[in-house]
Amino acid sequence: MKSYHDISGDGGSRILEQVAGQQARVDAALAGVKHLLAVGSGKGGVGKSTLTLQLASVLAARGSEVAVLDADFNGPTQARLAGVQASVPTPGAATMALPRSRAGFGVFSMGSLVPETHAVEFDSLSHGSSYTWRATREFTLLGEILGSVAWGRLDVLLLDLPPGAERIVQFAEFLGPRTRFVLVSIPSRLARGVVLRSAAALSGAGRPAVGYIENMDGYACGGCDEVRPLFPTSDEGLPGLPCLGRVPFDPELATLCDLGQPITDHPDLPSARALSGVAGRLLELLEVTS
Amino acid sequence: MKFLCVPCDQPMKLASLAPPDRGSLSVIYSCPACGYEMAMLTNPFETQMVQSLGVRVGPAEDEAAAAAGSSGTTAAAAGTESAPAGSRCPFAGMLGETSAPGPDAGADAGAAAPEATRPTAVEPTWSDTASERMKAIPAFVRPMARTGIERFARERGYETIDERVLEEARAFFGM
Repeated sequence: MKSYHDISGDGGSRILEQVAGQQARVDAALAGVKHLLAVGSGKGGVGKSTLTLQLASVLAARGSEVAVLDADFNGPTQARLAGVQASVPTPGAATMALPRSRAGFGVFSMGSLVPETHAVEFDSLSHGSSYTWRATREFTLLGEILGSVAWGRLDVLLLDLPPGAERIVQFAEFLGPRTRFVLVSIPSRLARGVVLRSAAALSGAGRPAVGYIENMDGYACGGCDEVRPLFPTSDEGLPGLPCLGRVPFDPELATLCDLGQPITDHPDLPSARALSGVAGRLLELLEVTS
Repeated sequence: MKFLCVPCDQPMKLASLAPPDRGSLSVIYSCPACGYEMAMLTNPFETQMVQSLGVRVGPAEDEAAAAAGSSGTTAAAAGTESAPAGSRCPFAGMLGETSAPGPDAGADAGAAAPEATRPTAVEPTWSDTASERMKAIPAFVRPMARTGIERFARERGYETIDERVLEEARAFFGM
């Protein structure tokens, strides 16, 4: 009797070919993108989204062509950060055009489409069992978005990942070997423990992170222009992972984020100077590792 | 998944689809050698898993739809849209009646309209060419984008959304 591998095709639906077609469409859409950079952590609330958007702003100000994809479909924040909450994607001739941030680069975020008072929902045929299919559905949507946008020629496409150490590996496998991963941590042992797990998970998948950014590394006091300690363990690093830079917690930056303004409008802020350094090291690393 | 006719040792071919029923697909396969037919009946979990992959189940004659690879989700997520003409996606009918995003399902209300606008209560209609262009937007996102563009049109008193309005919206949204 024939086995599965003795039979070519599936009798008519060509499911595997359809999935391959989806991937080919993504590859074609991303053909002009030089670097895919995924910003993750594993830990929530460490500033992944803020650093993603503001790094993109700094890179754009340096002359790089960049775009941001908010891959956190369930907790999208890039629309607010980029000031495109009221700007929906519109159709071009054959592709989707993205709203532009105030710094001038394209941003896709579910936050442009779904109000903050609403959850992002998918229709389902098997109610009450989203744990069995939701991740698959979200990655399918990610592929559809990646394949539908007119990305054009980009130096860097930054992806803002959702929290969850296991999610990072799923993204690594979905996005393929072209994508580089940067982790964001804060100087707390609690957060570092989770970020280390994410780093280990990426390494275990054969896709080690290129480095990490230490966010909230001290408190930038606007009153005395000093950076004061915010956590008791700020001198520790993440073993085996290069630190790309340390960004202080900056209330001015928090205000800019709420207003959807780029930090490049305020280059003298301590956080702006730190992000400029991170962007420079990041570009060097991307060139070396690509 | 493949099916084998054991007496003939021949792979069975997908013959037809029965209308979907409460989340279940009925896919009929036949043996090209002896003509024996059998039906694969999926439970809603199985149907949903395949649908989540964004693929379609059905005979392969609609190669264009297969190449697009997304017809399985067109109506699935859209809620307000029917499957594209000619689609053989069996999920479309099942999911087409699901809830549609409300009129405020776009971004925060408050996309600032120019002072010279003439807001209208008339629901704008879509020209055929503008509707066709919307297919460039992924199916899940499309109804939300439509809502945002319709709001843009209403705020300006446009009764028809055509390519000119799409271009104006595109410029307004900073693209």
